[in-house]
Amino acid sequence: MSTKEQEKRIELLQGTLDLLILRTLLLGPAHGHAVAKAIEFNSDDVLQVEQGSLYPALHRLIKRGWISVQEGISENNRRAKFYRLTIKGRRQLAVETSKWERLAGAIARILRPEAQEGKS
Amino acid sequence: MRRRKRMMEELDQDIRDHIEVETQENIERGLSPEEARYAALSKFGNVTRVTEETRAVWSSIWVEQLLQDLSYGIRALWKNPGFASVIVLTLALGIGANTAIFSVVRAVVIAPLPFPEPDRLVIVWESRPQVKRLGASYPDFLDWQRNTRSFAQMAALTLHSYDLTNPGAPQHLDGMEISSSFFATLGVKPAMGHDFTSAQDLPHGTPAVIISHRLWRDRFASSPQAIGKSMLLDGAEYTVLGVLPPGFRFIADPDVYTPLAQGEPLLYSDRTIHAFISIARLKPGVSIGQAGAEMSAVEENLNHLYPVADGSLGTNVVPLKQEIVGDVGGTLLLLLGAVGVVLLIACANVANLLLARSAARTREFAIRSALGAGGGRIVRQLLTESVVLAMTGGILGLIVATLGVRLIFAEFAQRLPRSESIGMNLPVLLFALGISLAVGIVFGLAPALKSSRVDLQGSLKSGDRGSTRRHPRSQSTLVIIQMALTVVLLVGASLLLRTIGDLWKVNPGFNFQHVITFKVGLSPSLTKTASDTRIAYQQLLERIRRIPGVQAADFTNIIPLSEQDNGGPFWIGPQESTSMQDAPHALYFETGPEYLQTMGIPLLRGRFFTSADTSESEPVIVINSVLAHAYFHDQDPVGQAITVAHWRTARVIGVVGNVRHWGLGDPGTYNPSQIYISFYQLSDQWIPAFARDLSVAVRTPLDVATIMPAVKNVVYGTGKDQPVYSVRTMQQVVSESMSSQRLPMILLGVFAALALLLASIGIYGVISYSATQRVQEIGVRMALGAERRQIFQMVIGQGLRIAVVGVTIGAMAAQVLARLLSTFSQLLYGVGPSDPVTFVSVSLVLISVAVLACYIPARRASRVDPMIALRYE
Repeated sequence: MSTKEQEKRIELLQGTLDLLILRTLLLGPAHGHAVAKAIEFNSDDVLQVEQGSLYPALHRLIKRGWISVQEGISENNRRAKFYRLTIKGRRQLAVETSKWERLAGAIARILRPEAQEGKS
Repeated sequence: MRRRKRMMEELDQDIRDHIEVETQENIERGLSPEEARYAALSKFGNVTRVTEETRAVWSSIWVEQLLQDLSYGIRALWKNPGFASVIVLTLALGIGANTAIFSVVRAVVIAPLPFPEPDRLVIVWESRPQVKRLGASYPDFLDWQRNTRSFAQMAALTLHSYDLTNPGAPQHLDGMEISSSFFATLGVKPAMGHDFTSAQDLPHGTPAVIISHRLWRDRFASSPQAIGKSMLLDGAEYTVLGVLPPGFRFIADPDVYTPLAQGEPLLYSDRTIHAFISIARLKPGVSIGQAGAEMSAVEENLNHLYPVADGSLGTNVVPLKQEIVGDVGGTLLLLLGAVGVVLLIACANVANLLLARSAARTREFAIRSALGAGGGRIVRQLLTESVVLAMTGGILGLIVATLGVRLIFAEFAQRLPRSESIGMNLPVLLFALGISLAVGIVFGLAPALKSSRVDLQGSLKSGDRGSTRRHPRSQSTLVIIQMALTVVLLVGASLLLRTIGDLWKVNPGFNFQHVITFKVGLSPSLTKTASDTRIAYQQLLERIRRIPGVQAADFTNIIPLSEQDNGGPFWIGPQESTSMQDAPHALYFETGPEYLQTMGIPLLRGRFFTSADTSESEPVIVINSVLAHAYFHDQDPVGQAITVAHWRTARVIGVVGNVRHWGLGDPGTYNPSQIYISFYQLSDQWIPAFARDLSVAVRTPLDVATIMPAVKNVVYGTGKDQPVYSVRTMQQVVSESMSSQRLPMILLGVFAALALLLASIGIYGVISYSATQRVQEIGVRMALGAERRQIFQMVIGQGLRIAVVGVTIGAMAAQVLARLLSTFSQLLYGVGPSDPVTFVSVSLVLISVAVLACYIPARRASRVDPMIALRYE
């Protein structure tokens, strides 16, 4: 992996990664590798994370009480740790999502002002 | 904590699982097991960093890392003792000098006065158009006290010294005559006994005295029974009323305080005698401006009521602290700035060393970041190291500061107000700590940031030295700044040095060589009446003149250049032709007949006093050349009449040379007229007041240690209870009169020398570093036929360019400092602020030092063996 390739990648902002993890876990408990795969898959590989950076984020969320850990068995019959969304995390996801939508809307308005003018 | 431990154990397992799953998937996609594992690891990223970052989520990991960094930093520095000790010593000098000056500035300028609510304390001067700080007359003071509303309390005081003859051995004591409200105004209560009451503001009360804690300890053995005991001061019985708290002092450090109403009635009953200092405490919420406005209104009323005495007087309300700190404050702040510059120069050296070192460590950082150290982590590591260096420097600096403060104190304590509280204390320690920390962070940050942006692969590949090309430029810039700052300090110091040199060349109007002055407290039994006093002084002087080695001796009430003042109005002609305030003022010397000869003041016309000029004969005076020119123009003043306020009309019998009384560099604007009156002709009523202040001057080729025992023998011969004190040579007096220049000169000189040393180390460091970096290039040049001389010149030339640029910038900046010295604090005399001699010589000194510093690396470079240099990599 050369430096240039790295630069092409869109680096995930910390908060965004949190949001994506919460969104992924909304579909049900998953282990670390599955979360990483799901984020990659759902974002068409554009938002590629160094998979390792998932772990500090997961632990941050555990510490805040937004997700919890439980033992489970993975699809290939191995003992694995599953992360699941807590009630507090569910609420947080709603807050974060609306915040994100507002931000995205604002950025879109800045980037394409003519579209806005046309509408009004 | 347990949760954290469990989470961390599981994390490792998690990561292993994660990578295994990924590897498995890759194998399923058709990769070989080895490739599959490699791809999985690469996709995961740096495992160590992930573990660290995750651990950071769970803990106050920075404490852990800080300890790690600390031990690593100390070990790294320990392995490089030369590097570390140069930095630590450089910083110790810089921080130490700053801490020393700060401790002086804090004690003298910053610290509040040691009284409750000190900001409400003010001093109230009277003023004439020419004189902003005229003492108050006591009747005026009483009117102020009655008619103002701005002040919670007002008090008057005047300095007064006593000869104590019982209990214990005779001793001369400094004291104050005060109004009863003095201690209450300051907010101080006696530690024992009582304060004065308003009853003591009336004349003819029982003589009472309040004494200092020190006197109580020395003379009464700290006995509680001291209250009510009696003391013999100037031959009169005083009852001890109270003892002050330890450490109390105000302006001077007096031992006895007496009510001023028990003092000399001539001083406190005359509205034209401005002998008192008036202090006051503002009522809460009243500003200086409001108090000043009220004082002006009250004084204007007095102008109308007493047109003769108070005709054109105004008032001037000044914060007490400002008054006590005086001009020294500006000088000290200037010095604090200068010493800050020294620190900057020291820091530039440190930054240079750190830069060079971080360049040499590029590979170390590349390896560490490859092993998973984040950029922030490396910055923190480097910062920890530089802070460790700075703090070590700071601790050594405290030793430097302690020594420095001791030196400053020994040299200047007498001339600095509030010097008693100079020393190492908590605020000073905090200051030292603060600047050490700031230095460590600010000057560690640049090299640290530089190192954290390492191009990983580049530096790992390229042999043993990393990418170092970028550093020399910023290093040269730092050296240029050092040079420029050094020029500024050198110029400041040498301008002051030249000023003092010029001042010593000024003719003071008298011959200060071989003159010793001292005071004698004549026994009260010898000075009961005015005529007794005259006889006692005459006999004392006759006996002193008979001592072998004494060429001439007589007394005077004020000594030139000692800041003693005795001004008063006079009128040309036999009448008081105008009001006192409108009359011209002169400085009055009350002397004996041999004073002129003793001081070596030239007689220009007529004659000086003789022993035939007595209280029985015609009153005569002698004037100086300035008064003669100003008021008699081309006429011969000898034989003319002059009327002296508070005395009488006298005939001018002689003209003498002008004496520079107010300072060698004095421009002659304040009271340049001087009048000499024979002490023996003073009115009886004035004799006691003046006799107290008389100093004896003796002209002798012998030194103090030889002559003074003989003088004391003579004095003690007429009475054992007569202290001899304030012994000084006129040489000392002249030297002390220049202390306002001497303090900044000596300190600026020390700072400039330090700066020069540091800057030469700086330029040496950069030139030799860059010469080492260029060894290969030099080898190539030599192989292509360059001669050793050319290589030598090339390296010297590089240093010279840096020095010239620095000196040029510095010379421009120095102009600003020099203007400050000359206008803002009026310290310069004889030299202009852009004195070409100073600027040229300073520039030459600095450039030659720079060339010298480059000599060693240049020689080394020219001795390079091209064969070895080319094989170098």
